[in-house]
Amino acid sequence: MSALTSRSSALLRTCARQRLAPIAATSMAAQRRGKADQATSSFDSPFRGETSSTKIPSFASYKSSKGETSNKVFQYFMVGTMGMLTGVGAKATVQDFLVNMSASADVLAQAKVELDLSAIPEGKNVIIKWRGKPVFIRHRTADEIKEAEDAKWESFRDPQPDSARAKKPEWLVMLGVCTHLGCVPIGEAGDFGGWFCPCHGSHYDISGRVRKGPAPLNLEIPEYDFPSETSIVIG
Amino acid sequence: MAGLASTIYNSLIRKNTVFLTTIFASAFVFELGFDSISNRVWDSFNQGRQWKDIRHKYVQAEEDEE
Repeated sequence: MSALTSRSSALLRTCARQRLAPIAATSMAAQRRGKADQATSSFDSPFRGETSSTKIPSFASYKSSKGETSNKVFQYFMVGTMGMLTGVGAKATVQDFLVNMSASADVLAQAKVELDLSAIPEGKNVIIKWRGKPVFIRHRTADEIKEAEDAKWESFRDPQPDSARAKKPEWLVMLGVCTHLGCVPIGEAGDFGGWFCPCHGSHYDISGRVRKGPAPLNLEIPEYDFPSETSIVIG
Repeated sequence: MAGLASTIYNSLIRKNTVFLTTIFASAFVFELGFDSISNRVWDSFNQGRQWKDIRHKYVQAEEDEE
């Protein structure tokens, strides 16, 4: 069986060779005829007398004398530098727009309120306006401080110790906005001796923590600081 | 020369992540340098005209009055 296949393939190959030879001969003849025609025509071909139709010019004078790697490094360096400059420019543009949106220095200076604390006697509330909102400042008595610190705050709705709500225990500073729907609570009222919101009946204790009613969070603490013993800056 | 080029190519450029990181790091450094140099140029150009240049005159005068 194998002998038969090898013989048949050999036969095929010889057939192909014999077929090819006459085709090649005829094409050669055609070319020769073309040359003869050119010699007699008026067209003067620039390729006449050339042995090969393809002539590759020499690029040797354009070729880099350095290696491939240093050229690649140069190209990538230029690409990287371009990317770096683009990145710096884009960052500066975005930053300018964002800085433009933030509050300017005069607005920030107006947004602070300074208050003299020596005018507030112990056990009194003071309500001041800060950024359009009321701020409660209470000078707490020693009993009130003790009451606020001893309360079992772990079980409250918004558990916070009193130390997290007052920087100095005798001064309690809070935003006077009920965390339920934004009413202004009434001072020295309610079941827990603190604040009471008349709108929906939220009770806050003497540390401003919600103890009863619909309010979800304790009264908010603004940013404040004591630059001296008798003054406070809110904001 | 060729050794230096291939070292740079293999260490910084070959991996795209490393290449990008290098670009961002160099952008950071370039921004710092560019900002400080341009600030210095601005200050030297406006020598004696800015508040920080003339502040000592006024602040000292106020302290003397007090």
